[in-house]
Amino acid sequence: MDRRTVLKGLAGAGGLALTGISAPAIAQGASARTLRFVPQANLANFDPIWGTQYVVRNAAALVWDTLYGIDAQLQPQRQMVESEETSDDGRTWTFKLRPGLKFHDGEPVLSKDVVASLSRWAARDPMGLMILAIQQELTAVDDRTFKWVLKQPFPKMLYALAKNNAPCSFIMPERIAKTDPFKQITEYVGSGPMKFAKSEWVPGAKSVFEKFADYVPRQEKASWLAGGKQILVDRVEWLVMPDPATAAAALQNGEVDWWENPIADLVPVLKKNKNISVDIGDPLGNIGSFRMNHMFAPFNDVRARRAVLMALSQEDYMRAIVGDDDALWKSLPGFFTPNTPLYSELGGEILKGKRDFDAAKKLLAESGYSGQPVTCLVAQDQPITKAQGDVTADLLKKLGMNVDFVATDWGTVGSRRAAKTPPGQGGWNMFHSWHAGADCITPAAYTAIRANGEKAWFGWPNSPNTEKEIVTWFDAKNLEEEKAAIGRVNKSALDDVVYAPTGFFLTYTAWRKNVSGITKGPLPFFWGVSKSA
Amino acid sequence: MLSYILRRIVATLPVMAIVALFVFSLLYIAPGDPAVVIAGDQASPEDVERIRQSLGLDRPFLIQFGSWVWRILHGDLGTSIFTNLPVSTMIGQRLGPTLSLMIITLLLTIVVAVPLGVVAAWKAGSLIDRAIMAFAVFGFSLPVFVVGYMLAYIFALELEWLPVQGYTPLSEGFWPWLQNLILPAIALGCVYIALVARITRATMLEVLQQDYIRTARAKGLGQGGILFIHALKNAAVPIVTVIGIGIALLIGGAVVTESVFAIPGLGRLTIDAILRRDYPVIQGIVLLFSFVYVLVNLMIDVTYTLVDPRIRY
Repeated sequence: MDRRTVLKGLAGAGGLALTGISAPAIAQGASARTLRFVPQANLANFDPIWGTQYVVRNAAALVWDTLYGIDAQLQPQRQMVESEETSDDGRTWTFKLRPGLKFHDGEPVLSKDVVASLSRWAARDPMGLMILAIQQELTAVDDRTFKWVLKQPFPKMLYALAKNNAPCSFIMPERIAKTDPFKQITEYVGSGPMKFAKSEWVPGAKSVFEKFADYVPRQEKASWLAGGKQILVDRVEWLVMPDPATAAAALQNGEVDWWENPIADLVPVLKKNKNISVDIGDPLGNIGSFRMNHMFAPFNDVRARRAVLMALSQEDYMRAIVGDDDALWKSLPGFFTPNTPLYSELGGEILKGKRDFDAAKKLLAESGYSGQPVTCLVAQDQPITKAQGDVTADLLKKLGMNVDFVATDWGTVGSRRAAKTPPGQGGWNMFHSWHAGADCITPAAYTAIRANGEKAWFGWPNSPNTEKEIVTWFDAKNLEEEKAAIGRVNKSALDDVVYAPTGFFLTYTAWRKNVSGITKGPLPFFWGVSKSA
Repeated sequence: MLSYILRRIVATLPVMAIVALFVFSLLYIAPGDPAVVIAGDQASPEDVERIRQSLGLDRPFLIQFGSWVWRILHGDLGTSIFTNLPVSTMIGQRLGPTLSLMIITLLLTIVVAVPLGVVAAWKAGSLIDRAIMAFAVFGFSLPVFVVGYMLAYIFALELEWLPVQGYTPLSEGFWPWLQNLILPAIALGCVYIALVARITRATMLEVLQQDYIRTARAKGLGQGGILFIHALKNAAVPIVTVIGIGIALLIGGAVVTESVFAIPGLGRLTIDAILRRDYPVIQGIVLLFSFVYVLVNLMIDVTYTLVDPRIRY
């Protein structure tokens, strides 16, 4: 009997027993003005530029505001800015801040704060670096106006300032934003709708956010990171629970109000409880992946990479991750997030239809593979990577490959995958990961699709045609041009097997029914969320 | 005695230094790089290298170790790589819950295990003895997390008597503090109770066969007096030893217990720090645990003199 079986069984029994039972006394005493939330991970640091983990970004969205915010239609909308102007040549952007913006220390938000914040952000963000490369100057014109002058047009400017993938361009006071982007800030002062209660912060256990009374929301309806961010509770407490069974029991018992990411095993239990609502959390979901090392044999030969793609079953990968719930996954013959405007399946035939092991073996032999060990790094402490690693090991064995299965922890995988040495000398041949669907809508924030050789993400794919089409997308003038470019990116990336997509999967979120206003999105949005006693 | 205690404390310093060097070396050669974890998936190798430099992780081993020792000598445990908080603050935040859990567990153990062991020895071979020993085997065999989930299911989910998770400081009231600790202390204490009960029984059995016990019985002394005044006092040395050594079990068990019951203690901090390669935090905790072990051993030695006047230092 393993730990997972025990927790599943007991949590299941608890759920059944509790069906139809009202919240216990423990919950009823809790204040309705405090929302208790179980985040996906521990908030171990709190500098959203220095640390790019999703959990940091999610917490930062409460404390720091952005100039623009992405909405549910994936469009950038004004947030801190009142207006913007672009020069006729597209090279000069002039922005004006909304009046009345204040930081949590009572100081007004001024252009100099924005200039310092954007400078720090741009030094760490892929899109920011693109802007920096063509920047002529970024200056404060007056207290509410600032100007960004470029050497050439950058049509995706507003998207860069609005995007939700980390690091977001959060605005901080100048004195804080002047911190070296590679060093952590120590003050957590923003102008967002909630203040961070640093004195109550116990990293690894608890983070507390208090409503910022002087926050002036926009008048528009809230939509993801855009619109009026109305906070309807006094406090939001993030309670870290490393054990999923404990989080499930605490939600059933009314000790917490909202669990961001219940694991698939426990969702049936939660669904049976009449006091709990369960729904898909992020409609943009996630894209599973494994990356092959393009620098060394056997995967330095495109035929070996294509052989693996011809044989892999995305269903096997997805079922290993989400279990038997068919609502949670779909096949993905490409790299971009399904149900988004630019989604394409162009060139995706290799991932469709019956898996052809004979043809794959033949292609593998043609690539010159002769039985050398294939070092497969698998992080056992991450259920998603562990599940994918097991499926890959089986797949490679069926293809007749000699698998060197390195079962380790995420810290080690994260470190070792950066090694550019040959697999037998500390390097590797493949590792598993996944990407938030919100980051895979366009190439703008999609590091994993880049194929610029040694500058690319781990695996260092080199596909000049993919890179050329990515540039075409950046220069696209309208949606049609963007769609066409993305289709070509998809095909090229599949032809060269930049990486292997293992499918698209969704996750649930769960909350008690006395909580209302929870919306689906790529991160938990606390504005508009209220709680009754 | 005072000079003995002082000598022992001074003698701990080289032990702690060796432990510190060992741990520091181990972490240095272990795979995994905090800079990579910090930088995140979007980072370039250049970003990772800049983070390594800003954290001082690119410096040679001896310089890093020397710098750490220098800070320790000045009473500074360093700063967490991830939270940017002083390690002493982080340990301070987590010490209360772990200490509370250990104290309640220890009290529970002494109150339950010692009488059980005494009764089992007194009724050796009887149904009661076999029942107690069966309970001990059961308690010893069940993993802490299984007991924890079972307790949470029965007492939190089913009966709704106690909370599932969390910790309330003692400053917010005795009952709020205690109610969060009852279930974890029972879960953690099961193994410990079983161990102490078995040792107590074995030691008592040996003592009960001594001549002076026979003499006491012949003099007409009551069973309670024989067991708890004459026998238990003479059996106390090994029992005290096993209770003290058992604190090691408690620290190990606390890691799991704190996870199951979401208690923000040192066990969870240790695991988080190891998984993230947060070196200063790991080193601080190891130093603390080393000091606790030394202190516990010292307390055991001092306790010997209290329960057995023949022992002198």
